[in-house]
Amino acid sequence: MTQTDEDKKFSVFLVDDDAGVLRALSRLVRTAGYDVVAFDSPQAFLDRHDPAVPGCAIFDLAMPGIDGLQLQAALLEKGVARAVIFVTGKGEIPDSVRAIQNGAIDFLTKPVDAQGLLRAIRRAHERDAHVRATREEMDALHALVEKLTPREYEVLTHVIAGRLNKQIAGDLGTVEKTIKVHRGRMMDKMGVRSVAELVRLADKVGIQPYRPVCTDTLISLKVNSTLGASAK
Amino acid sequence: MRVGGQVLSLGRGTMVRLDDIWRGIVVALAYYVAARIALVVGTLPGTSFAPFWPPNIVLLCALVFAPPARWWVFLLAAFLAHAAFEWQIGADAPQLSLAFFANSLVAGVNALAVRRLIRRPPWFGSLRKTSIYVAAAGFVAPAIGALAGGFVPILGGSGMADYPLFWAQWYAANALAGITLGPLALILVSEGMRPFKPAPPALQVEAAVLALVLAAVCAAVFNVHDARGANALAAVLLYAPLPIVIWAAERFGVKGASAAIFAVATVLVWRTLQGPPLFAAGTPEGNVLAVQVLLVGLTVPVLLLGSSIDETRSAERSTRESEVRMASAAASANIGLWHYDIASDAFWGSEACRALFGFPRDAPFARELFLAAIHPGDRATVTQAFRIALRSGQSIAIEFRVGSGEGDARWIQVRGQAHCDEAEVPVRVSGVFIDVTARKAAEAEAELQRRELAHLTRVSMLGELSGTLAHELHQPLTAILSNAQAAQNMIAAGRINVADVRDALADIVQEGHRAGEVIHRLRKLLRKDEGRVEPVELGELVRSTLRLLHGELVSRNVKVKIQLADRLPQPLGDPVQLQQVLLNLMMNAMEAMSAVPADRRVLTVRSRPADRGIELTVADRGRGIPAGDQSTIFQPFYSTKEHGLGLGLSICSTIVKTHGGELVLTNNREGGATAIMRLPAPAAQVEVQDDPDRRGQEVLGLSR
Repeated sequence: MTQTDEDKKFSVFLVDDDAGVLRALSRLVRTAGYDVVAFDSPQAFLDRHDPAVPGCAIFDLAMPGIDGLQLQAALLEKGVARAVIFVTGKGEIPDSVRAIQNGAIDFLTKPVDAQGLLRAIRRAHERDAHVRATREEMDALHALVEKLTPREYEVLTHVIAGRLNKQIAGDLGTVEKTIKVHRGRMMDKMGVRSVAELVRLADKVGIQPYRPVCTDTLISLKVNSTLGASAK
Repeated sequence: MRVGGQVLSLGRGTMVRLDDIWRGIVVALAYYVAARIALVVGTLPGTSFAPFWPPNIVLLCALVFAPPARWWVFLLAAFLAHAAFEWQIGADAPQLSLAFFANSLVAGVNALAVRRLIRRPPWFGSLRKTSIYVAAAGFVAPAIGALAGGFVPILGGSGMADYPLFWAQWYAANALAGITLGPLALILVSEGMRPFKPAPPALQVEAAVLALVLAAVCAAVFNVHDARGANALAAVLLYAPLPIVIWAAERFGVKGASAAIFAVATVLVWRTLQGPPLFAAGTPEGNVLAVQVLLVGLTVPVLLLGSSIDETRSAERSTRESEVRMASAAASANIGLWHYDIASDAFWGSEACRALFGFPRDAPFARELFLAAIHPGDRATVTQAFRIALRSGQSIAIEFRVGSGEGDARWIQVRGQAHCDEAEVPVRVSGVFIDVTARKAAEAEAELQRRELAHLTRVSMLGELSGTLAHELHQPLTAILSNAQAAQNMIAAGRINVADVRDALADIVQEGHRAGEVIHRLRKLLRKDEGRVEPVELGELVRSTLRLLHGELVSRNVKVKIQLADRLPQPLGDPVQLQQVLLNLMMNAMEAMSAVPADRRVLTVRSRPADRGIELTVADRGRGIPAGDQSTIFQPFYSTKEHGLGLGLSICSTIVKTHGGELVLTNNREGGATAIMRLPAPAAQVEVQDDPDRRGQEVLGLSR
């Protein structure tokens, strides 16, 4: 259980209404090298938890007022993608199924074994890191796409569809030279040298290649792809 | 008297039974013989008047025993006998008829008095009856008869001036016969109608000796008197038979008295008429009258004495009989009778008492023996109960053990009542001992089964709660494990902070205790109780039950409000069984609220002092008790729950009842139901504070 610099930045949010259990789990997780933020009630967690901080949450399942599953649902509703580990004294199958379906990392029964808990935390950490990394990359790509003018974006969809400058000019009702200028600026803004690279990026962001259909599709495609990216 | 049943018709509707004819003949013969005897005893010189006239007694007996509708038969028979007799001694028809009329008047009045006022034999069984008889036969009847009889000599030619004397003679003759021979005759005739029962030989011998002594005394006294002439001791000597007569009365009651009196009277009258004068009256009539007065004076008190002796004896006999009856009834019901006399400090117990206490048959039922037989553990209670009864006159009703108490102990119930004298001071305690061993054994058996059942329902209830209870145990175990592994982590990291490790260990210890408590609570509930009785602290019981249910309350999202009165009196009882009741009531309350919105799920537990005890209520805001279920809710195997056994409330109610309390369920006005448990409790040593500010109030559920 060595501590790495990466672990240090990772916080574990503990929610348990049982003071003794909360103190013990906090101590265990802290000695395993994580930052711990402990909440003695679900409401306190909802009030004070910062979704921006990298980390995972450990919820007790049975709590007065708002139980663990309800807390998980509340996070999902808020659009907070926090990795959640459940611990429970009862361990009932329907509850565990629901928790996992809602994206829980693990469903542990008390008395919780340290190894199991830390393994779950590591998995949560990995997922959190992955989610965060993916999101950063996507955010960067979106930023690039956002910088394109509508014309450049149009050119982009045509380029990744494998069409020649001459064809594009024909489609857009302009001359080949103008397309060449747009294309050069677009490639610059996207930071790519080759069409192959552009295609890969466009695919990641979810930009659909141009298909000779009606122009409405183009706009709807753009809207969809933008939403899809931020939701992921 | 329909026996015999043969009836002769005498025409004009008058019926006469064959029986009556025979009886009439018997009466006529007896009348005639009695008249002859009167003649033998003697008549006044120069007249045919007998101063002692037994035939009237024959007629009296006939009239007393015959219904008035049949009297004419016997009057006719007696008249024929009378006429025959008088004819022989030369009376003429008017005299004879008037004499008979006078005699019939005496017998008739006398018979009516006996039939109407005394009614039925024994005719002389009490002082009252004898007094009535003496008044009728010794005074009223002869006085009335003499009014007519006084004219008989006048019919015979005597002057009217002598009427008072004649009246007196008639009166005395009939009165003497009425009270000397009358009782004896009536007794003999009524006894003759019953089956003959020979007296014990000793009594027969005594009667014979008595008769001989009486005869000897009579003969001696009257002859001595005769020999010495008118001597100074004459009057005294006339009373010499008196002791013998009293002896007869004392030993043989009114029967002996009347027989002796009859004998003395007969002898004395005979002696007066036949021998030289006993009194110095001058005329034979005067002498006879003096004898008659003497005899009446002697007879009346002796008859009354005899009958009062009979009365006392028969009262004693019936008392004895009723005692025997009671004792035998008591013995057959295995009940022993006892009484204790305070003045003599004597303790008496019936035969059955000895058997109950295992004493030998001939052992005296002494107080020390009685106390020694009682189980040592119960001795003080019994003594105390007797002491209270003796001091305050209260009744005794307790149960105690007899014997050493090891297996062979018998349970005896004693009931008793102090009896007071006129000054309201207890003088005697009496009552019964009843063997209640079988009942006690049955009670113990029932109690055992009840406890078994309570235990089973408790176990099944805890089974329902198993998930929650596991959770309760998992909490401290999780804390212990995590703390221990955290400490391991600290050591593995090589940077040991002693304060941190100490904190972790302290938490481990604390959580260990917590787990232990959970197990302790469970063990207590799972254990088969031995029916312990101890003062129960209700607040602690409520809190401990809520701790047991904590997980269930949390997972069912039920809030708990507790309002417990301070310094409540502590009911005596079995804490485990009472906790079972609380657990059951709270689980029912939670169950009832499972369908209502979460913010309405509040369970309220209140305690407060009640009349001679405490009241504890568990209220919910659930669906309430369905209208039709109020009466059936405490019945066994009745359940509104899908999986309920239907034993919970029934057992709860039984448990509360065995604690001397009651369990009531009512619907709240604002919805939901309230269970009210009332338990008796000894008055609190400290005055109960009912000030609302001093009441402990806690809210449990959302915060911990």
